[in-house]
Formats: sequence, structure tokens, C-alpha cells
Amino acid sequence: MVSKVLVANRGEIACRILRACHEAGLATVAIYAQNDADSMFIELADEAVLLTGDTIGETYLDQQQILSIANRTGADAIHPGFGFLSERADFARAVTQAKIQWVGPSPEAIEKMGDKMTARITMRAAGVPVIPGEEIEHEDETDALEAIESASHRVGYPMLLKASSGGGGKGMRAVHSPDQLMEAAMGARREAIAAFGDGRVYVERLLTGSKHVEIQVLADRHGRTIHLGERECSVQRRHQKVFEEAPCATMTPELREAMGQAAVAAAEAVDYEGAGTVEFLLAPSGEFFFLEMNTRIQVEHPVTELVTGVDLVREQLRIAAGEPMSCGPLMMRGHAIEVRLYAEDAANNFLPAIGPLAIFRPPEGPGVRLDTGVREGDEVTPNYDPMLAKLIVWAPSRDEALQRMRRALDEFIVLGTTTNIRFLRELCDEAEVISGQTDTTTIDRLWPHGWSPSVPRSIEDAALMAAAVGESAGLHRTQQQASKGPEGPASPFSTLNRRFP
Amino acid sequence: MHHQFKSPEGPIEVTVARDGDAWRLGDIEATPMTDGRLRMVGPDGSVNFAHMAKVGDVWWVHHQGHTFRFERIEPGATDADDGGGLTAPMPGKVLQVLVEVGQSVAAGTTLMVLEAMKMEHRIVAASDGIVTAVHFNADDQVEQGVALLSLEDS
Repeated sequence: MVSKVLVANRGEIACRILRACHEAGLATVAIYAQNDADSMFIELADEAVLLTGDTIGETYLDQQQILSIANRTGADAIHPGFGFLSERADFARAVTQAKIQWVGPSPEAIEKMGDKMTARITMRAAGVPVIPGEEIEHEDETDALEAIESASHRVGYPMLLKASSGGGGKGMRAVHSPDQLMEAAMGARREAIAAFGDGRVYVERLLTGSKHVEIQVLADRHGRTIHLGERECSVQRRHQKVFEEAPCATMTPELREAMGQAAVAAAEAVDYEGAGTVEFLLAPSGEFFFLEMNTRIQVEHPVTELVTGVDLVREQLRIAAGEPMSCGPLMMRGHAIEVRLYAEDAANNFLPAIGPLAIFRPPEGPGVRLDTGVREGDEVTPNYDPMLAKLIVWAPSRDEALQRMRRALDEFIVLGTTTNIRFLRELCDEAEVISGQTDTTTIDRLWPHGWSPSVPRSIEDAALMAAAVGESAGLHRTQQQASKGPEGPASPFSTLNRRFP
Repeated sequence: MHHQFKSPEGPIEVTVARDGDAWRLGDIEATPMTDGRLRMVGPDGSVNFAHMAKVGDVWWVHHQGHTFRFERIEPGATDADDGGGLTAPMPGKVLQVLVEVGQSVAAGTTLMVLEAMKMEHRIVAASDGIVTAVHFNADDQVEQGVALLSLEDS
């Protein structure tokens, strides 16, 4: 039984989970750091508790503090979201020991999958294909560098150095020639130590021209482990996904079945419970290799939800409560695309941007979903990840979904903070994206020297004129006084017409 | 009315003329709406709405799917120059300083490594030069826009 869920996260994913809890009739507790005191997710919770401390380590990563809040508020489950403590086996263990339900897999499953090297070994044993490469267990810098150097001769170039505790592209380096190896290895170790407190880095062959295809799995305590089809997330920048879709444009039913079965085998090999994602590289040859398993809900889960009709977070809550999952046989319908809106300057090497969301007006209309944790008037700060929102569209076909995404991005207005909206919009016009022939090097190949917007002169001139008119007419002074009421069509009640046939 | 905005190529001068409720520039007509938007009518009669917001000295404009950021030059202000300093692109922490004062560096050399939002960012020499000053040490916190190092062209 679960009746009150503490959401140990913030921002967009906290909002997503809190809403799912409300829909499931569960009481909720949010936790927040002082610099999140005005954030939207707090308002969506029944109770919100301020975390003491300033740094992320003292707040959202403070296991003891979060556990004591759970006890104090009577929460009987903790949902970790993604990032933060979501893949920390020690936290999952502490939560379980405190007789609180962890919304996620067992600590043992997290451990086996969380350590990328152990995961490779476990998957090999389960018969799931892994990328050619070598595990390197040395913790000591000198030993590790020596072992990496030695492994490089056997693995061959180009190769990828990956932090064993890594994720989100942190502690990862592509190495194309031997003279880059040592600097890359030291950089990867440094980043891994800073981000995860574990500098172990292993070596994998870099499979260029591959697609990143991942399989969503769900497993409950009633003996059922299923897959919910694939998502393609090949379009990445520095190993950060920016454009995700389901299904994969080049997928065949046979390949989906084979990858789905491998993903189910991977989950079963660690007695998985809840929602998880098995990531694969899909080579042009049609061969696929296990990359890693994410033992949590994923950022891009909405595209699967839109094509399968399954509410993944709701299923997580159901499974955590000990109930069987509610989904029937896999049915995929239409096509869904997600883009990640970041506060970043795409034209300036994608540097994170900060500033106020003076105007934040997301698109609406059929087939458009927005998952966000911000609203107009909020401030984008350097304290947290710069992701502002996920914009997801659904349409009956891939072409129509892409058209809908273009339309939605054109309507999306964010002023006061630089965002990557225009970059995402132009991405939708690239031939590779239109054809679905994307791979993990798409962005680097399309814009090897960085991206800059192509702006028609007439539009820029009109915008300059708008700024000049704004200044001349003093619009910035009248704007504050202007009615803040909702725009668009008037309230339905004021136009109610009782015209019966 | 006459206004100046900054651009990478130099100041852009814009003069708009008032015409009743509307403003004109060439054959574009713009009319402020009560909600703060501008109704813009193009030479071909096409109608589009510009959304705007002013933050500090910067006008943010969204028009036809494009977002612009125009920094207004206050009348009489002179354009301050940072003297070739290399500035922090964002707030963060200095991870590594890879050069010393007096060192000659080639264009493309990594001078400093910053960490912000858990990612590493390299500060790279844009041209060949000699390092004339290093303003921060490893582990120092830096604000956005501060000069990190100074480089003199060689």
C-alpha cells in the first residue's frame, strides 16, 4: 500500500510526478531548497518542506535529511524522479530499510546497472550483446591511465572513454587518435570524480554511424516484465539528447521484437521492478549492442506514453504499491517527437544562459504536450540544469508529427532568456531529420563549426522596428500595467448559446 | 523617434515615425496592442504579431518564429571595450589554469577550463598572443562576464 508519496526531486519531473500522484489519489510531499522557494513544483504538492543547506549536496542529495522529512510527514513512498538520488543504490537501500516504499527497482538492480562496467559483465552473462571494449577497474590515477593506454591498443580508434558511474555525457570523451588519449582520459576522470566521486573510466569502441535506440521496459511483482517499444534518441549534442522520437523511423517489427526481447532479458537478469530503459546502439548493419540500463523514469518517457497510451509514471506508482501493471499487449499508434528546450545560446557553442522568463508562452493545440517546471515570471539561474521544458507532439504519421513540431516551435515564445528554440526549429528542416536517417553524429556533422541561425533580413528588420517602437511608445512601462488576464478566446460562458436544433 | 541598438557589426540606427496610433518604418506599420504585443502590417498587407519584453537595456522580440535580443545604446553612452580580455561566458568555477603570464600561445590553445552546470568549458585563445595577466586561480568562483585572462596579440 502506498498513500503518500514524497517526491525527492525538483522542476519539471517533480511536476510530472506530483500530477500523476494527484490523478492516482495519492497525497504528496515536495521538498525544496531555498533557491527553489518560488518554483512551480512546490505549488503542485499537498505539503512542501524546505531543505536546510545551500549546495545541491546539502539539499536534494542529502539522504538523511530527506528520509527524516519522509518520516516526519508520514510519507510511505519516495519517488526519486531522474538525476539526483534516482540511481543511488545506497539511498534506495536506506529508504527500504526505513520501511518506506522506493518507487523504482531494488538497490541490487541499481548497483548492477549503475556501475557501467558491472552492467557490461552482467549483460554479457545474460546473452545481451555489448559494445566491444574493456573494463578497467583501477582506481589509482597512474594505474588507470596505464591500463587505458594498454587497452587502447586492443580496442582501437576511434574509441570512447566512459565513467563507470557516469551518465548524461559527464565523464565521457571520444578519442580519435593516440595523441589525444591521455588528456581525454584525465579530463574524463576529473569530470567523473567531480560529478560522481568515482574516477573509474573504461574503454569502448566508438561505433560511428550508429543510432541510439532504447527500449522502455516495465516489470511488476506479479511476474510480468514487458517492453513498450523503442525510442530513438540519436540526435545528441555532447551526448545530451535533444530530439527524441517513437517509433524509430527505420525500425522493423522483427528488429523491434529482437531488441524488445533483449531488453526484457536485461531487466530479468537483475530482477528488475518498475520502469526502466535499456539503451542500445543500433549499427547500420542492423546489429545492436547494449549501452546501459537507466534504472529510473527517463526524461524522454513522454514519447512512449503518447504512442502506447501507457502512463508510465502512473504505472510506476501502481507497481510500487504492489499492484500488477495495468497495460495490455503492446500497441503503438502514430508518431511522437520530443525536443528539449534549454536555456542556452545555441549560436555561441550552446553555453548555458540565465535570465528572467519575461515572457513564456508555450504552444497549444491538438497533439501538443508540454512538460515543464517553469512559468512566466520565473528566473533561470545557474543553480540547476538549464532544461526549461520538454515539448512533445503526437500525430498519426512521422511527417505530420514533424510538421506539428515545426508549428509548435514557431508558436513557442520565450523572451528574457536565450533558448535553443530556433536551433530545434531549424533541426526539423534538416534532410537527415526529415528522412529519419539520423545517427549520433548528426549534429556534429551538420554544424561542425557551430550553429548560427539563418534569419531572413526582412524579419530582423521588422523585429528591430518593433524594438524601436517599443522604446518610443514606452511599451515596457505600460506592459506591467497591462491586463495580465488570459489571452485567446473569451471564456466559454460568456458566449454560451442555447441554440437547439 | 531615433534609437540605436548594438550588433556584432556595429551600432544599428532605427528611426520610427508616429502616425496616429501606429508607427511607421518604410512601408511597415506597427500598432501597439493593449496586451503589449505589436500588430505589424507588412508592405504586402500581411499581418504578424510581435511579442516584446524589455529586460534591463535589452529588448527581446519574438517575430515570425525568430527571437531577437537587441541591446539598446543609451543616447550619449560610449561603447566600453574590454581591451581584448577573455571573459567568463557564464558563472562557474575555474577548474584549471593552463597558462602562465608571459607565455606565448597559439590560436586555439586552451587557456583555462571552467566548470558550470557540471560541464567543463574551455577558454580558448582566439588568436596567437602572449598572456599578459591571469586573473583567477583554480577553484575560484567567477561571475559571468568577468575578465579571466588578458592576451596581447603577437
